[in-house]
Amino acid sequence: MPLDIEQYLHTERLPHMWCAGCGIGIVTGAFLRAMVDLGLKREETVVVGGVGCSSRAAGYVDVGTMHTIHGRALAFATGIKMARPEFTVIVLTGDGDGAAIGGNHLIHACRRNIDLTCILFNNQVYGMTGGQVSPMTGWGDLATTAPYGQVETPFDLCRLAEAAGATFVARGTAANIRPVEEYIKQGIQHPGFAFIEAVVPCPMEYGKRNAPGGVLAMLDDEKARSISKAEAARLTPEELEDKIVTGVLHHKVGRPEFQRSYASIVARAQAEAAEQAETLQSESGGAVS
Amino acid sequence: MDNRSTSAVLDSVAAMELWHSHLLREKIDQSSLLVQGNRACALGALDAGVRFFAGYPITPSSEIMEAMAYELPRVGGVFVQMEDEIASICACIGASLSGWLGMTATSGPGFSLMQEAIGYAIMVEAPLVIVDVMREGPSTGRVSAPSQGDVMQARWGTHGDHPAIVLAASNVADMYRLTMAAVRFAQRFRTPVTLLADEVVGHMRESFSPELVGRYRLTSGDFDFTPGYVHPDLAREVHPPHILGSEAHPHVTGCTHDETGFPTNDAKKSERFLHELYDKVTNHRDELCLYDVKNEGKGRVCVVAYGSCARSARAAWRLAELEGLPVEVLHLYTLFPLPIEVIQTVARRVEFMLIPELNLGQYAREVRKLAENWTTVISMGKIDGTLITPREILDQVTRLIGKYESV
Repeated sequence: MPLDIEQYLHTERLPHMWCAGCGIGIVTGAFLRAMVDLGLKREETVVVGGVGCSSRAAGYVDVGTMHTIHGRALAFATGIKMARPEFTVIVLTGDGDGAAIGGNHLIHACRRNIDLTCILFNNQVYGMTGGQVSPMTGWGDLATTAPYGQVETPFDLCRLAEAAGATFVARGTAANIRPVEEYIKQGIQHPGFAFIEAVVPCPMEYGKRNAPGGVLAMLDDEKARSISKAEAARLTPEELEDKIVTGVLHHKVGRPEFQRSYASIVARAQAEAAEQAETLQSESGGAVS
Repeated sequence: MDNRSTSAVLDSVAAMELWHSHLLREKIDQSSLLVQGNRACALGALDAGVRFFAGYPITPSSEIMEAMAYELPRVGGVFVQMEDEIASICACIGASLSGWLGMTATSGPGFSLMQEAIGYAIMVEAPLVIVDVMREGPSTGRVSAPSQGDVMQARWGTHGDHPAIVLAASNVADMYRLTMAAVRFAQRFRTPVTLLADEVVGHMRESFSPELVGRYRLTSGDFDFTPGYVHPDLAREVHPPHILGSEAHPHVTGCTHDETGFPTNDAKKSERFLHELYDKVTNHRDELCLYDVKNEGKGRVCVVAYGSCARSARAAWRLAELEGLPVEVLHLYTLFPLPIEVIQTVARRVEFMLIPELNLGQYAREVRKLAENWTTVISMGKIDGTLITPREILDQVTRLIGKYESV
């Protein structure tokens, strides 16, 4: 008997292209289960990916899907949502795609508070291109382009999204996937910009250079470092440094959503145009059709 | 009057200018209005039926975006000012793949930023219109100095082998009718179309009426905005469109793909796909190549020109007539696909082809490749940010003919 999630899966395209031990599939599974629970209509759901390992997840989802160019998935999604407001539009991106090359689009999508859901798979490395340093690589970590160790500080993406104006912000890990599924569901239902960061292990390109190494150890490590928002509030900045703060970190209702605000502009402008046309017609004695 | 109300008045003046030119034209009948080139471009887009525009401010193209920001909501369309030109064109492609037709306008620096996404639009066959109001470059250059320096960027700006449809406007009426032509070509061939305008063409104000644009004028009946529209006579050349949100819920990718829409590594399939993208454009060269010939068959010198230089070329031809010099003018509205037949036909009958351009001979090189077997091709480039005058062209013509006489 086919699994529920198979209705949203291009099963003919399996096995997938991800490495053994990769965490992207775990989060993609959570996304598919969220779709099943929400009963999303295939013809009204669009999934947009950028370029990179996690963006490729879009290609396995059997709804309208786009594999776009590097970093720009949110910009494409903005066009789709504005053209077809009735669609549920979900963006799948990675830490390189979404936080480096696409970082500007991310903060502006947050600022607009457009009704999109962005799931960012954070594996702390450029996996597809072979293990280069990403804006989420930890301080001191090794990568092919940080052979002596990374000396830049990673983003706190959830705080960035919140500060930029996102109205639903959550973080979870592949090690504890059920809550992630829940965040994705809440994010899709949230009428505004929803940002969900999912921390996933990349044993092949990250783990092979950095402790704790293997996939099981990496998952255990994610678990050990995860703390709730309430726990985080009790820690000093130093104590927080290697922690993964999980949960729904920010949820704001009532801030105007971009597409809806624009719809009210359209209604106003159309009314004005109709009024002007009427005035014109009466002035010209009905000569203008 | 405080600042706020001053700007409100200025806004409404600009808005009224557009409103009058748009709504009053039936009332004014055959009389004409003073309209700016960039505004005429916006009018052409609206009359063609464009309802989605995303852009980013840049001189000298911003008036197009401002007009669309005002007009689109009035007709139920969508305007978004994005965070940069990359986002603008990506949003347009997203709209195009959702069954709309996206349009954006920019200038050289922004056009450079858009190049990767233009390749994506070609690959996924998204109908799209990009207006590039050219200014002096490279880099920031001089923002209000007219230029034609983006000709080769429009042809080869994005990487890989790809087709390109590039039009060039030379006056306000062109900005209107060629914008409409760009929409039609984008729709028919499901590919991005670039309309080039020199800064001076975008910013000049001329008397204009949509009814008086002359040849190549299109009307609303020439367009079909049905999502996934493919004209029956192109059904065998244009791939069945992938429209997001349709029953087909397709996959769209910039990877080389096969008919399923998914990437392929098969050498034969890849090659065939890339050829098909090319062929759907080049097989319809006759339809795509718009041009005018003045004084046809009567010149020893043919001035081949586009954009603002074509205006000077036409004026030079009038002056030449007065002076008894045998000059014809080939005014090109389509730069790419190359009007091969058109150029070679003229090349066979004239002694010289003179190409005045506001660059160092970008298009002259193309003409030379096509024409050098039959005629001498002379490039007349200028990059000081001023226009090429009719007198400068005439002087060059005189020199060419004089040189020939003295041999």
